[in-house]
Amino acid sequence: MNVQSSRRPALQRVLIGAVGTVLLLVGLPQARAVPSFARQTGMACNTCHTVFPELTPFGREFKLNGYVLDNIKQIKGITVERQETLALSSIPPLSAMLQVSYSKTKDAVPDTDPALAATGAFAKDGDLLFPQQASLFYAGKIADGLGAFVQLTFSGAANTFAIDNTDVRYAHHFSSASWGEKDLLLGLTLNNNPTVQDAWNTTAAWGFPYQSSNVVPTPITSPKLDSGAGGIGQNAGGLGAYLWWNNSIYAEFTAYTASKIGGTHPLDSTQATVINGLAPYWRLAWENRWDRNSLSIGTYGMVLNIFPGAGMPLSGPTNKYTDTAFDAQYQFIGEEHMFTALATYIHEKQQLNASFQNGLSQNQDNTLNTLRLAGEYYYRRQIGGSIGFFNTTGSSDNLLYPSGSVDPTTGVATGAVTGSANNSPNSSGYIFEANYLPWLNVKLQLQYVYYTKFNGGSTNYDGTGRNATGNNVLYLLGWFNF
Amino acid sequence: MKRASVLLQVVTLAAVACLGRPALPADIPDANKKAAEKMASEVCAACHGPGGRSISPTFPKLAAAPAPYLEMQLKSFRDQTRADPDAIAYMWGMAAQLDDAMIGALADYYSRQRPAASKPGDVALVSAGKRLYEQGVPARQIPACASCHGATAEGNGVIPRLAGQHAPYLRKQILVIQNALRTAPVMHGVVKDLTLDQTQAVALYLESL
Repeated sequence: MNVQSSRRPALQRVLIGAVGTVLLLVGLPQARAVPSFARQTGMACNTCHTVFPELTPFGREFKLNGYVLDNIKQIKGITVERQETLALSSIPPLSAMLQVSYSKTKDAVPDTDPALAATGAFAKDGDLLFPQQASLFYAGKIADGLGAFVQLTFSGAANTFAIDNTDVRYAHHFSSASWGEKDLLLGLTLNNNPTVQDAWNTTAAWGFPYQSSNVVPTPITSPKLDSGAGGIGQNAGGLGAYLWWNNSIYAEFTAYTASKIGGTHPLDSTQATVINGLAPYWRLAWENRWDRNSLSIGTYGMVLNIFPGAGMPLSGPTNKYTDTAFDAQYQFIGEEHMFTALATYIHEKQQLNASFQNGLSQNQDNTLNTLRLAGEYYYRRQIGGSIGFFNTTGSSDNLLYPSGSVDPTTGVATGAVTGSANNSPNSSGYIFEANYLPWLNVKLQLQYVYYTKFNGGSTNYDGTGRNATGNNVLYLLGWFNF
Repeated sequence: MKRASVLLQVVTLAAVACLGRPALPADIPDANKKAAEKMASEVCAACHGPGGRSISPTFPKLAAAPAPYLEMQLKSFRDQTRADPDAIAYMWGMAAQLDDAMIGALADYYSRQRPAASKPGDVALVSAGKRLYEQGVPARQIPACASCHGATAEGNGVIPRLAGQHAPYLRKQILVIQNALRTAPVMHGVVKDLTLDQTQAVALYLESL
């Protein structure tokens, strides 16, 4: 095995740290629920959601049918052959969202690392974020069978206004006398974030926790299909096709490619996380419903060839990431009590041909796995609590996950908070949540994230003296949809 | 005196329903029947199940319900006179843009569907429920449900089918009729003195039919 030296130019390490923290700042897209749909359908939030943004079986049907269920006056057009040329809702399905939050880590981020301080990544830790996010939505029908979920978000952390989760889809039902009452739905999805199109709440875009702080340290990496720092998120745009058979079996294939917002175009070496060519994504799920219960189990995955970034040109060898994942979801939706259990496990095989050749990784091949579990309970959709567990494990790599250190003479640190003394991405912990909803469209949340392990260790995990529990986060959120 | 009053209300209700005569199956053009079937299987089935045989007790089974009853309910959702919580949350929106022709065709479609399977319940409770259904509670002037809903709870005209219906749905309807969240003057008079135990028993009996 050709082991690369662990002594690397400080500039390179800073660059990698900076890229990592920029990813943290931008954050990965979080899930949303929208009164646009309530305005369009005339139906209250509790018909499609247990508690937003988690979907009920009816909510999954609404989404898979293309967001087109529409019970308001239409503006129509037809030809002399009675073909419909327009079906536009008389009022647009618009809505807005405001999130105001406060985050506080148990230990303040140290100011001994000038490079980290310069990124401003955790500068808002301990501040009131007003807003954390403010979004506008067009979410609903465009034409018969064609609908969209379009979100535009102002990020209070990054001070940017940009397109957020977007899913445009078309769906059509097919029936046949030989199928009896069984129904086939075929659809197309055009979206900018792998798993945003998914109907279950186990995958990255819509999974638990549905909202969390984006101004605090998070583990250094995670698989591409996870919602953590390593996730591909909105760096991809894709077109896919899906089928939903007998309200029970779901199958989808979507091809993604690089789609970067902002930055220089054509994309050049200043850009990171650029996919080369097409990245296929697949999804299979089976759902069974009985009485007030639903249970779904499924699998999903993706193969991505990504240029290594860090100033490398967008040509030549790439790093190949192959994600294979499994998920399961159970819901009980009672008259007063509601319970949901969520589970997903993502296994990633990394063939780092480009990084290895360029001295950015110690190993040519690594693995990275993430397990996420959550249990949620609500009483009358008004008050509830949730517990989540996450665990990321992966190959050690002293170039991908370098250690931080402190200069004994100057006391200046490098790689503080983001470093890994054990050169390991292993991170785990628990998420505790208490939620109060005075109305169906307002959620007041208290969340606590407790790390048992962070970037490969629990005490002095980063090589500059920080403990994993130092990154524990108290997070208060007011989430208003209107 | 009270029983006569209840009967008088039933007769009046039936007369009123007859004046706004629901469409007979022969009246409904084929194109409307097809459109209703399409809507039922692509939209309504998401909650009420294929053919109106719903899975979750939040959503009533519609299969084999009498067409005049379904028509009356859809119109009451559309004009928002039925105002129990689930009606407001789900059905006010769903019925808002339905015209009379579609309402008639949907009601006709569901009335022609084969009924859902029944569900056996606790033997003692089902037996108590059967007694209640067939005899009422004379001591408290609660008439027998069977006198309007039919000996086998199949319903008739504007009186709904109860046989095979989800027990939790039936319990909830009795509750919302008792506290007048759902406007049903005749039924309010009938069920207002039913206890929770009696409600549970009769609901389980009806689900077992």
